[in-house]
Amino acid sequence: MNALEVNGLTKVYPEFMLDKVSFCVPEGHVVGLIGRNGAGKSTTIKGILRLIAAEGTVCVFGKNMGEDEMAVKQLIGYVGGGFRYYPMNTLSAVRKAYAPFYQKWDQGKYEQFLAQFGLSERKKVKELSEGMKVKFALALALSHGAKLLIMDEPTSGLDPLSREEFCDIVLQLVREEGVSVLFSTHITSDLMRIADDIVYLSQGRLLAACPLTELLGKYQLARFATLAEATAAKAIGVKAVKAGYEGLLPRDMQISTNAAVTDATIDNVIVHLEKASEEGRYAEFN
Amino acid sequence: MLSLIRKELALCMHPTAFLFLFFAVLVFIPYYPYEVVFFFSCLSLFFCCMKARENGDIAFSCALPVKKEHIPLAKMLVVFGLQAVILLLVGSIGAVKGVVLPAEQYINQAGISANLVLVGNGAVLLGVFNLIFFPRYFKAPDKIGVPFVVGAIVVFLLISIFIVLRWVTPLYSITLNGLNSVNTGAKVLACLIGLLAYILLTMASCRISMRNFAKVDM
Repeated sequence: MNALEVNGLTKVYPEFMLDKVSFCVPEGHVVGLIGRNGAGKSTTIKGILRLIAAEGTVCVFGKNMGEDEMAVKQLIGYVGGGFRYYPMNTLSAVRKAYAPFYQKWDQGKYEQFLAQFGLSERKKVKELSEGMKVKFALALALSHGAKLLIMDEPTSGLDPLSREEFCDIVLQLVREEGVSVLFSTHITSDLMRIADDIVYLSQGRLLAACPLTELLGKYQLARFATLAEATAAKAIGVKAVKAGYEGLLPRDMQISTNAAVTDATIDNVIVHLEKASEEGRYAEFN
Repeated sequence: MLSLIRKELALCMHPTAFLFLFFAVLVFIPYYPYEVVFFFSCLSLFFCCMKARENGDIAFSCALPVKKEHIPLAKMLVVFGLQAVILLLVGSIGAVKGVVLPAEQYINQAGISANLVLVGNGAVLLGVFNLIFFPRYFKAPDKIGVPFVVGAIVVFLLISIFIVLRWVTPLYSITLNGLNSVNTGAKVLACLIGLLAYILLTMASCRISMRNFAKVDM
């Protein structure tokens, strides 16, 4: 069963359009939502949570969000980055206001998370570090029996150690609690660490929605001495680098003898697909 | 809805929302336009909305398992509760003033006396402010200044009209002025008309605000 199914999610702004985005988050999977700044990651998450009025359907564990929003939101834990709300209030005051909204609020579990994360309820939100704010948001989101965790760039602004800790927590939740996760990020090392699948957005359009290994296995990085060679090889998203030109080649493609080929990293895939998308070669790899 | 109201009271109320309720005692000041007391109620609402914006309260609320239209409704219900308290306090403290002060000192030379008509006038002021402020605020919750300034201008305009009526019409200067025990029927009627206007204006405000907020993108 899919934890989340998004079909035809569309939002039109005067200068940006999220264009019929469809993907799913299989149960127990961690799905990374990636794309450059302004690609539509946050708009997609807001559309899923109905924070914006968007077209399209969203189903969580088979329940339609449009038909039963309140019941569906009981199943979702939302972490919009660090906890940015009520800076002058104590964690205790925020929790007291937050908990009554959830039928399955588990105070014991919440206290367990606080202890695990080293959080004190007596502290004010403004006194927490960025990493602690993310942990507090996680503690709230996970203490009401949420089965789907949706996070919008939770690791941006965190130092490498805190990011590592965050990834450990997410993996632990997936393994021990069976939680499914959708999280947006542009820190690709986090994706390599915890993501099973990738949803890749560019300029409001879906470029790829597939397992991470499939995306990485689809392309290889080719380096060419000249632009003419790169063009002749029909490399995707060719760009000049220090020593020649670089582009992606589908793995099953016959390789030119002049090209030096290596495995593509997720950064390589994003950079070159984005370049190709800007050049209008979207259809070739979609 | 009850959880939303509790959250409003716990996290969104600015101290002035409660402190300004004590301004009901201003009805003891001689020669003062007592309707100004109700403006302070409007001012405290402005501070509460500022606080909600600083706290990211609306974005936080939208992610909760609640119907989107219930978010403005809960905020407005809390405000209406506070407005009911200020109306009640002004009416009660005005009545106490009538008992403890001689009748000649009860007459207000700057506007209407602190009687039931003042409560009716206050209800009209608050109802009009609600109708102006909330629909604009819930159309763009980050922009609080313009809705408040427009509302405040209209409130002061209405206060001026009530003061003028006190001086130029016998109805306001004689029949509806002075102690509640004199011309009681007319004063009760004026009060009820004011309260009815408040209910109608506030209901319209609720409906438009909820409709406007449904279209807001967070």
